[in-house]
Amino acid sequence: MTGDPARANPPLIGQRIPRPDARAAVTGAAIYTDDLKLPGMLHGVLLRSPLPHARIKRIDVSRARAVPGVKDVITGRDTPPVKYGNWRLVPESQDETALALDKVRFVGDEVAAVAAIDRETAERACALIDVEYEELPAVYTELEASAEGAPTIHDPYPNNISLNREITFGDLEAAFVRADYVREDVFTTHAVQHAYLEPCASLAAPDEGGRVTLWTSTQVPYIVQCLLASVLGLPENHVRVIKPQVGGAFGGKMELRKWEICAAFLALRTGRPVKFTLTRADEFAFGRRRHAMTLRSKIGFTRDGRITGRDFDVLLGGGAYNAMGPTAAFLCGNFGGMLYKFPAYRYIGRHVYTNTPPASAMRGFGAPQALFACETQMNLAAEELGIDPIDLRLINAMEVGDEIPGVTKINSCGFKESLVKVREMSGWDAKRRRRTPGRGIGIGCYSFISGGVFNWFNTKYPFSTCEVRLFEDGTAHLLTMAAEIGQGSDLVLRQILAAELGISIEKIRLTAADTAITPKADLGTWGSRVTLMMGNAVLDAARKIKDMLKPVIFAEFDLNQIHDVTFAGDRVFCAVKPARGLSLAACAYKALRLRLGEPLTAIGTYTPRNMGLVSPAFSFGAQVAEVEVDRETGLVKVERMYTAHDCGVPINEMAVEGQLEGSIHMGLGYALMESLDVRDGVTRNASFLDYKMPAASDMPPSESAAIVTYEPAGPFGAKEAGEGLVGPTAPALSAAVHDATGYRCLDLPITPEKVLRGIGRLSPPAPGGESRQPREAPGAPLPSTR
Amino acid sequence: MTALLPHFVHHRPETLPRLLDLLAEHGERARILAGGTDLLERMRAGIVHAEHVISLGRVPGLDHVRFDEGMGLTIGARASLADVGRHPAVRQFYPTLSRACTVMCTPQICNMATVVGNLVNGSPSADAAPPLLIHDARLALVSTAGEREISLADFFLGPGRVERRPEELVREARVPAPAPEAGSSFQRISARSAVDIAAVLAAALLEIGEDGRIRSARVALGAVAPTPRRCLVAEELLAGGEPDPALFEEAAGLCAAVARPIDDTRASAAWRRAMVGVLSRRALEEAAQVARGGVR
Repeated sequence: MTGDPARANPPLIGQRIPRPDARAAVTGAAIYTDDLKLPGMLHGVLLRSPLPHARIKRIDVSRARAVPGVKDVITGRDTPPVKYGNWRLVPESQDETALALDKVRFVGDEVAAVAAIDRETAERACALIDVEYEELPAVYTELEASAEGAPTIHDPYPNNISLNREITFGDLEAAFVRADYVREDVFTTHAVQHAYLEPCASLAAPDEGGRVTLWTSTQVPYIVQCLLASVLGLPENHVRVIKPQVGGAFGGKMELRKWEICAAFLALRTGRPVKFTLTRADEFAFGRRRHAMTLRSKIGFTRDGRITGRDFDVLLGGGAYNAMGPTAAFLCGNFGGMLYKFPAYRYIGRHVYTNTPPASAMRGFGAPQALFACETQMNLAAEELGIDPIDLRLINAMEVGDEIPGVTKINSCGFKESLVKVREMSGWDAKRRRRTPGRGIGIGCYSFISGGVFNWFNTKYPFSTCEVRLFEDGTAHLLTMAAEIGQGSDLVLRQILAAELGISIEKIRLTAADTAITPKADLGTWGSRVTLMMGNAVLDAARKIKDMLKPVIFAEFDLNQIHDVTFAGDRVFCAVKPARGLSLAACAYKALRLRLGEPLTAIGTYTPRNMGLVSPAFSFGAQVAEVEVDRETGLVKVERMYTAHDCGVPINEMAVEGQLEGSIHMGLGYALMESLDVRDGVTRNASFLDYKMPAASDMPPSESAAIVTYEPAGPFGAKEAGEGLVGPTAPALSAAVHDATGYRCLDLPITPEKVLRGIGRLSPPAPGGESRQPREAPGAPLPSTR
Repeated sequence: MTALLPHFVHHRPETLPRLLDLLAEHGERARILAGGTDLLERMRAGIVHAEHVISLGRVPGLDHVRFDEGMGLTIGARASLADVGRHPAVRQFYPTLSRACTVMCTPQICNMATVVGNLVNGSPSADAAPPLLIHDARLALVSTAGEREISLADFFLGPGRVERRPEELVREARVPAPAPEAGSSFQRISARSAVDIAAVLAAALLEIGEDGRIRSARVALGAVAPTPRRCLVAEELLAGGEPDPALFEEAAGLCAAVARPIDDTRASAAWRRAMVGVLSRRALEEAAQVARGGVR
């Protein structure tokens, strides 16, 4: 009996601790980038393309320059013609420039920028920039854009497929021959927006020696620093990036953006600080979004419900530039094969350029789309095989020790336990037996990564680095580049440090996300990486600090070598003879004396090694949705959600619950309401009035259970809790709506109109009436079973 | 950061005559500010251009909500949705209006926005319009030239267009007291449960006589035509009829037939038309139930 390793954790781990910054955020006291003002500051405004696809023939900025109060006007002829993009490892994937050079590729593509003494002047001048365009034919969906003869958006990609990602293992042909039951379905998912509450803003100020400082609303300070330096042709350390409080990002702020470049470039040209702030309408109409996808999946089962293989073919609607599309394309294929034991699997993901705003990372990073398709297909198969959907999943579920072929071994997995628990919590079996008209119940599951291993940014530094300083008064200072964007990492990292040093959280000062002060590097907040990766770096630094203090106790109390020293309750003492110890402050004081004043400072690092290319750890979970559908209006009311999930050891239970509630909110919006209404490249619902994000009153009651496992790769056994949970909601709701009405949604979102049409209460729409209907993929056979 | 408000002159008159003088002077270049929840947003968005903004805030005698069994209900120009929605007499005698005032927006907006402002915007989807239309509400418009009264049904001309001259203030809405045996219902549908503009609105008022037949009927629709409107053909069909499901179904069919919904980003015309049928039938059924003393 080895015992539960989580029980050896310090008491601070797992506690419910509210975020220290929560009050400021909800009372409006928090200082965001747009709140910052510097003496002599100019206001920047961007001129954007009104056309979805056009060649720029001529730009005349003379009238804009002549406006009193205008200090500078720049176009793509002024900014360096350097191509950039997050996938620095693969230079040919870098397809953006600071401002448009010769072409515009979406309505909103940035063409010019104005800096003026106030925003009104800048806007007036911007309207006076004269651009002559030669309009080109445009394509908006991944199907149109990848079809034969579609106009080319970027040279040299004649069919607009900017990249392919493939994952293959096992003998797929044999798998389908061996199968007793094979089905193939086509699913479509739509683009939705992060809708973070803080619109993007950046403020740049010139610094001495040709350096520049950029305060920006970002989740990746290090990436912004490196890429901005490369675009501006500056040494990396001439660029200082500071992340103030960020009001949400969800993947939408994980790249270098045009206004960051323009702010810095204009600040260096004018010698004055320059600030850009986007409006909500800018965000909706031109901002990053989740990839729309067309997903074709073929799956085989034996008669008793064992999966024999999956063939998964996905087209990603990428928008005008790659952005984080290459990662989404890679991860989507991983998420299609991560939950179950697949003897054979083939994935082809094709990232397609379209004349729409670039899609990029968004909470779940390819998982919500993959899971909507694959989990809905599990539900379809369960029905036809005559096996309960939960039983079918239990037959195939991943377990500890299983290998995701070509990826890595799973070292902690509470998937089966989650399925069993959610079945019990939701009263699944009784509710499936006792049918109530208009009411339905359905399930969806997920697995997710705890940070990415594949180094597409090609950093030379550790993936996560921090510095811990301990002082003679027993307080500590944690310096980290990790980006708090509302997920709670500033608290969790302090909790980890406090737990390891045996002190209270209040004793730790935190300095975060300033690239000139915090140690290099941290790759940023994405892929649910911060708790695991920076958490491990913090542990590393804390242990080094402890090693500096332990000799003091050994010497002071003449301890036998066989003893160890414990850190708890602000004391350092012999583990088996607690009286032999000192306060942490006294111990630090003596250590400083012994070191002749050499500071008690340690650098902690973490880089995943020998862990495949995907992630060091994987989380799992299952969610059941219960709905009531109004069969006359088609409106879906979510009655209750039940979730059982394995996020390893929760560091802060309150934070985990917050992530779960936020995920249900986002998943519900994705499944039922949110949709960008884009016609001819123009977004027609660029406001919260018309972009239907759920309100607080739309949130259903929710029950959850944490299945605690101990993840050996994570700090104190922790792993991901922030993203995976957004995945199961759409397939669970789709299944519940089907259970209630008989209508099965294969094309998100599940709108009242589709429900009514699905149950024959509304005639089909006129051609062109709806923007995204599932259509046959080019060259793909029609689904064999429906 | 939100878009900038353009420059304008802000007037804060302290008497009604002064207010009317300002309106007479600035006419079309002026906008009246009551709650401001729509006006300021539209000015920021550049949809509305106003050189002069004339605030009602300091003019006495505009924020009343009064009920009298003879005169009925009067709602002052500055009475908020919350004032009206929570007023005991409104809750008792005009429950559909009370409901419309409380479900159309968040508490924050409810506390600022006004019922009269909701009407004067001329939005086809004004939540307050159908409940006031079924109660035969009238509006009192004043200017330096004097006062005139028109029926609410004649007030709406088209999207964003109402029967109000630039120099006029809609001083109050006047709503006759409903017959004691009347029952009403307000139905609304939107994608979200709250903080959402209605995709379709329907309200119904039925008076059921002692013989069990419908003595009079009012049915009003919102968001499905260029203006909020009553459905007179349905009202004629219902009057004198037996309040049974078949009649309600037929009347609802007439409502759906007269609706002129559009395809827009919020919903398709086909779904809206179908929903007019569903909501007007539900409104009639509920109104009949209330009239019979079932539930309010």
